[in-house]
Amino acid sequence: MSSPLHAEGLSKAFLSGKVRTAVLEQLSLSLDPGELTLLAGPSGCGKSTLLAILSGLERPDQGWVEAQGERIWSLDHHALRRFRLHHVGFVFQGFNLFAALNAVEQVALPLTYLGLKPAEYRRRAEAALDEVGLAACRHLRPAEMSGGEKQRVAIARAMAKEPTLLFADEPTSALDSANGRIVIDILHRAARQHGVAVLCATHDPRLLSHADRILRMEDGRILDDQHPASPAPTAEDSAL
Amino acid sequence: MIALARKTLLYEWRRYLPATLAVALSGMLLLVQLALVYGIFQGAAVYINASRGQLWVGYPGTRSVDLGRSIPLDTEIHLLMNPGVRRVEPFQWVNGDWRGTPALGSVSVFISGIDPTANGLAFARVIPPQLRHRLYQPNAIIVDAADLPKLGIHLGQTGILNCQRVHLVGVVHGIRALGGVNIISSLATARGLNAGGDLRPAYYIVQLTQSGRAKALRNQLRSSSHPPRYSVWTSSQFAARTIRYWLFQTGAGLGVVFMSLVVFLVGTVITSQTLMGAVAGSIAEYATLNALGASHAALARVVLEQAAWVGTAGLAIGGVLSTILLFLARNQNVPVSIGPLGVLVCLGLVMGITLFSGLLAVRSLRNADPAYLLR
Ligand SMILES: Nc1ncnc2c1ncn2[C@@H]1O[C@H](COP(=O)(O)OP(=O)(O)OP(=O)(O)O)[C@@H](O)[C@H]1O
Ligand SMILES: [Mg+2]
Repeated sequence: MSSPLHAEGLSKAFLSGKVRTAVLEQLSLSLDPGELTLLAGPSGCGKSTLLAILSGLERPDQGWVEAQGERIWSLDHHALRRFRLHHVGFVFQGFNLFAALNAVEQVALPLTYLGLKPAEYRRRAEAALDEVGLAACRHLRPAEMSGGEKQRVAIARAMAKEPTLLFADEPTSALDSANGRIVIDILHRAARQHGVAVLCATHDPRLLSHADRILRMEDGRILDDQHPASPAPTAEDSAL
Repeated sequence: MIALARKTLLYEWRRYLPATLAVALSGMLLLVQLALVYGIFQGAAVYINASRGQLWVGYPGTRSVDLGRSIPLDTEIHLLMNPGVRRVEPFQWVNGDWRGTPALGSVSVFISGIDPTANGLAFARVIPPQLRHRLYQPNAIIVDAADLPKLGIHLGQTGILNCQRVHLVGVVHGIRALGGVNIISSLATARGLNAGGDLRPAYYIVQLTQSGRAKALRNQLRSSSHPPRYSVWTSSQFAARTIRYWLFQTGAGLGVVFMSLVVFLVGTVITSQTLMGAVAGSIAEYATLNALGASHAALARVVLEQAAWVGTAGLAIGGVLSTILLFLARNQNVPVSIGPLGVLVCLGLVMGITLFSGLLAVRSLRNADPAYLLR
């Protein structure tokens, strides 16, 4: 099976005033389905920028990204959005939930843009909430949830679309270590059970033991690509 | 559908309150202003609106009822020859000069000479038959209660009108004139007060056998000679003609337009600022939706829907306020009047500015760039 995402020779530089700072330099990588890949590295090394380029949010200066058999940066604006709609999920550091909506509605909202029927998007939303262990919180609004619960709603929102790619940028940095662990476990399980390629940027060393694969970034390059022999069992696995 | 716009509006109603109130006040100002201007100028058409009868016949091309000029006496015969006509009643129009007490000086008045018979048409809606009958007395007059201080007279007293002594025999409500005082007398008294002037009437009021056929008879009764010897209008047409003339002749119409522009400007600024603030407050959420594949148009629809809800809620509040205000005005004898068309125009305009404000707020959705979420 071809990899769900393949990128070659990505370069990106930002101009601030007249100074041009290279953020990514000739970076290449592939993601495998069903794997949780952690992208680790010091602040400012270009993790978020790489995520944005791979997910179709920020255009690279050079190089290409291939997903679903297409070079996504050759697509027009509209097609690129449709690519994200059908294949990409996002989890951000901030939870970015609408204050007025309850958990089911938060998760169902992006599904409405897929043109699903109400019964179907409701079913999917409830299943996704079940999967992140929030079945009981269905009707709570963000103001009534803890940070960890909110981030799990955000993960359910990203996963309910049944994407092939899931990008998470520092999903645990606003959470304490217990909640951080729950969140990374859920991401891990999502990768395994649904065959999603999950790429998660983080500088939280405690998460490293949970990954199938660790990419170490520095100064816009990937220095190290590790597959830890046996990834630590998820909380759920050990509970069984 | 997940009703994001409506749910946000209900959940964060405090945030949307200023816009809703701005819409409510804009609507109310517009409506009350229109009702006031229209109500005041209804006064110009009081002669028509207070009378019964379906048609008015007057000097060719008369633009406002107070600009009447004498028409030929044989018009009456001509009108009566039509079998659809039941009754034709002359209406005399005389300008007068009232001498009250020395302190008040002279007041210019409009004298309406009417037929005092019990089934007379002119002012039949405001003068009851037995009071009307008193006009048979020589030099008897009736005025509006609100004009008594201006004339400096009380019921039963006398005053000097066009150098003749007249006698106040009755006081009624609802015949106030615009820019003067209306005095009602019999046709004979009016002619006497117009000594040396034209004795022919300015109008004939026509009552038809079938009131529903006003338009058809208007067309039948039209003067066939060239140039026409008189014009025929239905009463509502003549009233509208009069009000339109006053609106434009006095520049009040322009005033309404100008005030409306000010109201709109203020309403738009407040509403669009509120909506922009709401968009800014949820910008990360909108950007997330966009990252997850929602189109810009779909997000714009949410903002416009919010605008529409703000408009609806605002109009509901404005409607209640306007109703209360108009009711109070009526109670205080302030002339206000507005028809369904006027209300509809106000609704349309206010909803229009609300949606326009929504469009302005949509522009700030441009900041919902999902790349900003990845830092
Ligand atoms: N739009 C932009 N304009 C200018 N410079 C930018 C822009 N986006 C990112 N940069 C710069 O690119 C570099 C890499 O940024 P990036 O957000 O990818 O880092 P990061 O690895 O995610 O860091 P952190 O761990 O702190 O989130 C930083 O030096 C940043 O200042
Ligand atoms: Mg970052």
